[in-house]
Amino acid sequence: MPTAPITLAATDLSSYLPILILVGMAVTFGVFNVVASNLLGPSRTGKVKEKTYESGMDTIGSAHKRFNVRFYIIAMVFLVFDIEIIFLYPWAVTFPNIDQSTPDALLWLGRILFFVFTTVVAYVYGVRKGVFRFD
Amino acid sequence: MNNVIAQLWPEIALFVTTCLVMVVGLSKDRGTRKLCAPISAIGIIVAGYLAATTSVDTATTLPFMAKYGKVLAAGVGLLLLMLMAGTADRQLEDAVDRGEKFEPLRSTRAEFYAFFLFSLMGLMLCAGASDLIFLFLALELTSLPTYVMVALSTRRDRSMEAGVKYFFLGAMGAAMFLFGFALIYGATGSTALADVAYTIQNRAAGTGSIGPLALTGLVLSLLGVMFKIAAVPMHFYTADVYQGAASSVTAFLAFVPKCAGFFAIMLLVGCAGWAFGPDGYGSGTALPPELRILLWTIAVLTMTVGNVLALLQTSVKRILAYSSIAHSGYMLVGVIAGPGPAESTLASNGLAAVLFYLLTYGVMSVGTFSVVAALERRRRATAADAAIDEVDHIDELRGLWKRQPHLAAVMVICALGLLGLPPLLGFLGKLPLFTSALGAGEIVLVVILGLNSAIAAAYYLRLVSVPFLESGEPSTPDAVVPTPFPSRALAGVVAAVLVVVAGLAGGTLGSHAERAGTFRFPTKTMEATRHASQPTSTVSVPPDAAERGPNAR
Amino acid sequence: MNTLFCTLAQSGWPEPMPTGTLFHYLVISAAMFVIGLIGFVTRRNLIIMFLCTELMFQAAGLSLIAFSRFHLNHTGETFVIFVLTVAAAEAALALALVVLLFRRKESLDAERWAELRG
Repeated sequence: MPTAPITLAATDLSSYLPILILVGMAVTFGVFNVVASNLLGPSRTGKVKEKTYESGMDTIGSAHKRFNVRFYIIAMVFLVFDIEIIFLYPWAVTFPNIDQSTPDALLWLGRILFFVFTTVVAYVYGVRKGVFRFD
Repeated sequence: MNNVIAQLWPEIALFVTTCLVMVVGLSKDRGTRKLCAPISAIGIIVAGYLAATTSVDTATTLPFMAKYGKVLAAGVGLLLLMLMAGTADRQLEDAVDRGEKFEPLRSTRAEFYAFFLFSLMGLMLCAGASDLIFLFLALELTSLPTYVMVALSTRRDRSMEAGVKYFFLGAMGAAMFLFGFALIYGATGSTALADVAYTIQNRAAGTGSIGPLALTGLVLSLLGVMFKIAAVPMHFYTADVYQGAASSVTAFLAFVPKCAGFFAIMLLVGCAGWAFGPDGYGSGTALPPELRILLWTIAVLTMTVGNVLALLQTSVKRILAYSSIAHSGYMLVGVIAGPGPAESTLASNGLAAVLFYLLTYGVMSVGTFSVVAALERRRRATAADAAIDEVDHIDELRGLWKRQPHLAAVMVICALGLLGLPPLLGFLGKLPLFTSALGAGEIVLVVILGLNSAIAAAYYLRLVSVPFLESGEPSTPDAVVPTPFPSRALAGVVAAVLVVVAGLAGGTLGSHAERAGTFRFPTKTMEATRHASQPTSTVSVPPDAAERGPNAR
Repeated sequence: MNTLFCTLAQSGWPEPMPTGTLFHYLVISAAMFVIGLIGFVTRRNLIIMFLCTELMFQAAGLSLIAFSRFHLNHTGETFVIFVLTVAAAEAALALALVVLLFRRKESLDAERWAELRG
């Protein structure tokens, strides 16, 4: 492979200009709305208006409530599936490069299916543990 | 690739067992739940059998260690499993007996046995690791479950505290050896241990040193792994965690992470090799000087600190914790001594000595911990939940010879074995450490090792004599009684019998360790065979992708 | 100015990354590691201590990726995927332990857990 001179196409400042403009627009829009509503909008306060918004109902209790630990368990089950995806991506990128007519393709498919099967085991365990029961 | 799968059959067997146990342990039927332990036992036996029959040599500098390590893990694992009886869910099952409803979310039995098997699986993977990624995952698989096992082992605050302490220090150790692995990869451009060893030793042959980046990486990863074996800069947690965990889990901690740590240390240090002498690379059979100084200091400090602090303790579990630190120091002597000259035997090969010592230490420590685990203290005559406590103080073993002579005998035999008394297994284990270090010319280290063994006699003899002393106050409301789990005492008896029998006929075990400790100098041919076994033609890279280079998308 | 952009955008793929750039990545990664280590030793809040170990993990990940680019192979990147997995498992474990502790003592101060002292 010949040593090519360092190409500037990827580093040309102009190719980053759209991103810069996009960021600029986003920031301007956000700041403009906050400033404009403070300057133009009427600011009448009252007891009802200061209340926490809870779908229009009267608010009950404090917002600093401790969440049920079940949410945390659900989050952990989610984590299993979340991490599984990381491993599926490299596999999915490599798999099309395998000659599909050889038995190796089946082997690769079998391996990933076994890997997915381990998640099924985790799911069955979660069900038996009663993670998905809300009563 | 296929030979990587082929050497994983024991772990696959354990994995299938783990899946079964996780589901079975949550059954509504009490009899089905009780099946957890027998299923685990069958799984471990099958894994041990598969390890003995199907193991293949790994592409590392210690190609035969995988088989020995896996069989060792299965053997001692079986003893540990016997010790685990009744550790998980004891109060919950008692409550179910009284007619309460079984709540799966409160139960921990399934997790406990599953984590036990996972950790054992990690130990087996460590023995067969041929790659830094593999080794990292194996070490983490060994230690992550142990954190949970410690926290779950009793329902008291101190177990929780021990678990948290163990976890945080363990995570720091893991981060350290991970950073070390990253630097080793940076220095060599590969994570395969054979390639790493080849590159490092090639560089050493060319320039006379292993290079600063590889050295920093090795030092950091060794320091991180020192956490697993409880060696001196990372030993602070040991006594607290061992005391806070239930005795059966403590026995587990004293063997499994330590064993995994030593496998990792030998694989890592093996990459740097024992080919340095006074005139640089190739002129002797010592480690690179920087690594030798590091390990030498750690070994001396570990032995001394462990033994001296053990003298000051009054809790049996703390004594055994500090003795476990000291034994790590002894074993590091074997790592410093190295494989010795070519065609070396158990007596001259320090690595074989370490592997054999791991076996002897595992059996003897299971024995001593089983005595503590097989006893419990009841505050009243009735067995109410909260009134059951662990036996911890050394005076609680007084009069044991009169009440439970078999447990007292186990304590006597195993403590004498740990001390290294001649006819017992411990002596057979310690002797090669001395001879290999002498053969490597480490005279000072041998003297310190001998002195430390003498210091250790003081507290081991205390453990030996206490069961024969009269119990102090007979009117004490607390009664030390055996637990209702006979398999715990059985584990101790089996260990004690092994210490005596294997001590008399330890030659065969030694010859296995001798083969397992064979050090093979890395060559490029080893690397070539590793690649040749993989079907390279199946992955066809599109030609344009190959031209565009790695970072073109 | 152009040199700066070249360096930032990692252009010039046929050659290995210029050593200076690798050096920069390693400095940042080492700094992250040391910050994590110091934070771990000095802080007493369990969550902060856990974040510090996580920082150390990510420092290792950063240097792995830099080295992977330097050596022009994908091994380091593969390693990082596994590191992320282990870090996620550790996070789940750490948070579970911290939740349990908090329910017992209503505090995350490591100093308040001192029943075992030797």
